[in-house]
Amino acid sequence: MSYTVGDTLPPFMIESVSADAMKQWAVFLADPNPIHLDVAVVKAKGLGDRVINQGPINVAYMMNMLMAAFPGGRIEAMDSRFLDNVYAGDRVVATGRITAVDGDRIDCEISLDAEGRGTVNSGTARVRINI
Amino acid sequence: MSELADLPPAPDVVGTKLDGTKTFTISAAENAALCRSTGVEPARDGTAHPIYYYIATQVAMGQTVAGLCAICEFDVEEGPMMGSSAVRSSAPLRTGGSYTVTGEILSLVRKRSRKLGVMDVLTYRLRLHERDGRVVLETDNVWVLPRKELA
Repeated sequence: MSYTVGDTLPPFMIESVSADAMKQWAVFLADPNPIHLDVAVVKAKGLGDRVINQGPINVAYMMNMLMAAFPGGRIEAMDSRFLDNVYAGDRVVATGRITAVDGDRIDCEISLDAEGRGTVNSGTARVRINI
Repeated sequence: MSELADLPPAPDVVGTKLDGTKTFTISAAENAALCRSTGVEPARDGTAHPIYYYIATQVAMGQTVAGLCAICEFDVEEGPMMGSSAVRSSAPLRTGGSYTVTGEILSLVRKRSRKLGVMDVLTYRLRLHERDGRVVLETDNVWVLPRKELA
């Protein structure tokens, strides 16, 4: 497999972000913030009318995209900026593009978009590929 | 952003230690559930989902999210927001692996934005250690703490 600067990576898609997954992640993260669990709290805070995905889940979607694009590879570095919330029921797509190739290390731009609302997370990653 | 001469300074918390006191173990069952909750199957080679960089460091650091906010004199009920997260890793995390955390607050900077009004931007660094003490990854997280009382 060869990689070239400018190559786009196959997208990773979640058809509908799951409120049940947010309940699981409240346990994984040991963080029972109710904006991820209780629509009434989200409404009361003026944050919308659906529960809000925990930020690290959105990072995980982008990681899934990278791991699928580079089988056997390892994410050596990654940074991501949280630009907007992802809500239960959202359709989200993680995408990426190669920006540099240095031996077995590939640099990428990555992003997560929510349908109808644009980019909600963006960043960069360096993946060490399995040659 | 604008000048803040009219506002009190952010709390002086730079250097506050966030070292954990407990060990975090990635269970194979939890890793499998986590992977499936994000739409993928767990790896067959024993590696854990890389997002455990965030989970392990947050869960095993020396403070809860509420406690970290309290150090910054911020009530978690006011709604801290994730600004960014970065990780630098030297080896994959593994199911069955046990890890400890060290870390510290790097900065707490008071700013004023058009969108959020007055806010404190918290940056903290956490390191995940293997049993032998070797650092397997380092992460810098940035949180935005809206200071509605100062808006």
